[in-house]
Amino acid sequence: MALSRKTPIEHIEYAIIVSTLLLLVVVTVQPILNLLAVSLSAPGKVPGMSGLAILPDGLSFEVWGVLLQHPNVQRGIINSIFITGVSTLIGVVGTALMAWGLSRPNLPGRKALFILVLVTIVFETGIIPDYFVNKRLGLLDSYWSVILYKAVNAWYLIILIRFFEEIPNELLEAAELDGANPFQIFWHLVLPLAKPALATISLFYLVFHWNEFFRAMIYLNDQEKWPLQVVLRQFVIDGDKVAIVGADSANNNTGAGQLNLRALKAGMILLTIVPILAIYPLILKFFTKGTMSGALKG
Amino acid sequence: MTDRQHALTASNGGNVPINSARRKPGRVSAFADGWRRWWPYYVMMAPGILFFLVFHYLPIWETRIAFEQVRIVPPNVWVGLKHFQVLFSSSVFWQVLANTLIISTMKMVFFLPVPIIVALLLNEVRGGSLRKFIQSAIYLPHFLSWVVIAGIFIAALSPTDGAVNNLLGMAGIAPRSFMTDMGAIRWVLVFTEIWRSAGWDSLLYLAAIIAIDQQLYDAAEVDGANRWQKIWHVTLPGIVPTIATLFILNAGMFLNADLNQVINLSNDVVRSKIDIVDTYVYRIGLQTGEYSLATAAGLFKAVLGTMMIVIAHFVSKRLTGKGVW
Repeated sequence: MALSRKTPIEHIEYAIIVSTLLLLVVVTVQPILNLLAVSLSAPGKVPGMSGLAILPDGLSFEVWGVLLQHPNVQRGIINSIFITGVSTLIGVVGTALMAWGLSRPNLPGRKALFILVLVTIVFETGIIPDYFVNKRLGLLDSYWSVILYKAVNAWYLIILIRFFEEIPNELLEAAELDGANPFQIFWHLVLPLAKPALATISLFYLVFHWNEFFRAMIYLNDQEKWPLQVVLRQFVIDGDKVAIVGADSANNNTGAGQLNLRALKAGMILLTIVPILAIYPLILKFFTKGTMSGALKG
Repeated sequence: MTDRQHALTASNGGNVPINSARRKPGRVSAFADGWRRWWPYYVMMAPGILFFLVFHYLPIWETRIAFEQVRIVPPNVWVGLKHFQVLFSSSVFWQVLANTLIISTMKMVFFLPVPIIVALLLNEVRGGSLRKFIQSAIYLPHFLSWVVIAGIFIAALSPTDGAVNNLLGMAGIAPRSFMTDMGAIRWVLVFTEIWRSAGWDSLLYLAAIIAIDQQLYDAAEVDGANRWQKIWHVTLPGIVPTIATLFILNAGMFLNADLNQVINLSNDVVRSKIDIVDTYVYRIGLQTGEYSLATAAGLFKAVLGTMMIVIAHFVSKRLTGKGVW
């Protein structure tokens, strides 16, 4: 637009708008940068370090070293990757297969199935009945209790149905006339066309399962099976230092026990969000598109 | 005709009525016809359907323990509404219900305008890369778990070395321990909610703003409207339907004050202020083992919540054409 016509007042207005938004950026990012700074600072410098600092005081990777070598953290990383990977795979396959059927307008029983799904969105029975179902199925303390929780997410299912519905019917009919069966049509025609939608759904599941902690906390008693989020909670929220540095070091203030608890916590929090940061460019691309095209909140 | 006969044979185990060939396609044969064509789809949908039945409908069946006395040696005894009577006469339950409503109201009043303002401001930013930079930053917290966010805020609100108290200190204000402050903790919930989702939610409004007809802005320009007049007379009216939809949908979720948030930001000192129905259910159910009472509380919330969502859906459909589903 005609920039030349802008008056000084409009320039000031614009500066205020941009500064307000940049302030928002600072409020969002600063607390995270501060944790990074604290976790990377020289151990001696951490006590008394300002919460406003965004650059490390000295440089030390000791905290990250202790965390990454800690058996609980290592187990947590492996568990989280396993649980997230398997649930995402199951979720995407199950959701895509079900959405394909539900997207066919003439499917007998389509309406009944839709109601079956919608009821689950509207009526949430709560944690105790869920817990008992898992108990009855013998899933408690098994990875499957967590993996199967929201394995097929009703919202993501609806998003995918909407996408499949937009595949031109002529394309599907042509394939049918060529003698392709529904399995072949799904595999050779629908899936390749749905790649962007499937990528979006995969990311939805990935983020959801990586961040899930409550079900893992109530279903998994065995610490060996805890995902990173539960390990993080035990250490940061419950403030259980022994959980990370071990009873010996904590009691005698030796080894890792000498490290500043604040720095260890900061490192642990960041460790948990590394995967999210790693795929963040993809998240921005697909989540943003998904939301902009009128899909529902993830 | 042979096709239909085949289908019929398959559907009633080979007992083909003698006059079947002359019969008009009836209900059974139409069904069989459909099945012949559609069974592959049902095979593909089977895992998904099974999942919904087992993990969403079995729990509904399990809620019957809200009406039973759990016994160590089964079977349980049917006690009707006894647990609900206990629940409704418990002052703790009314307290957590009140907390839930207060926290939801606070979130609604103070959260809702923020993403709208952010979207309006973002829309004014001209440089594409500047806008992208701001968006990338403010969307991030939406993708972090509440465990992580609680960790971040416990650090940032620390009375000794948290960013907030360091800032207040520079202004000469004495440090305050927000996380253990009865008067502050609800505001911590409101603020962390804003921190987490206001940026991301602005995207929904931004999408609505971008969909506004550019000609309206051009016309306003011709009329000599300035930036604020354009926002007030063109942009805001353009996103009113979106605002209304999101407001109504949020109202429908009113009883979900967010278990994950509260459970991670809560502590013994402030629990009574932010104990919500969900945390109450969790505590008396899984920690104390009063399964029936907890299930009754959960069921009460679920029924009320369902009513609110369904009402919200139809109100929203009526007013804005968009519903929950």
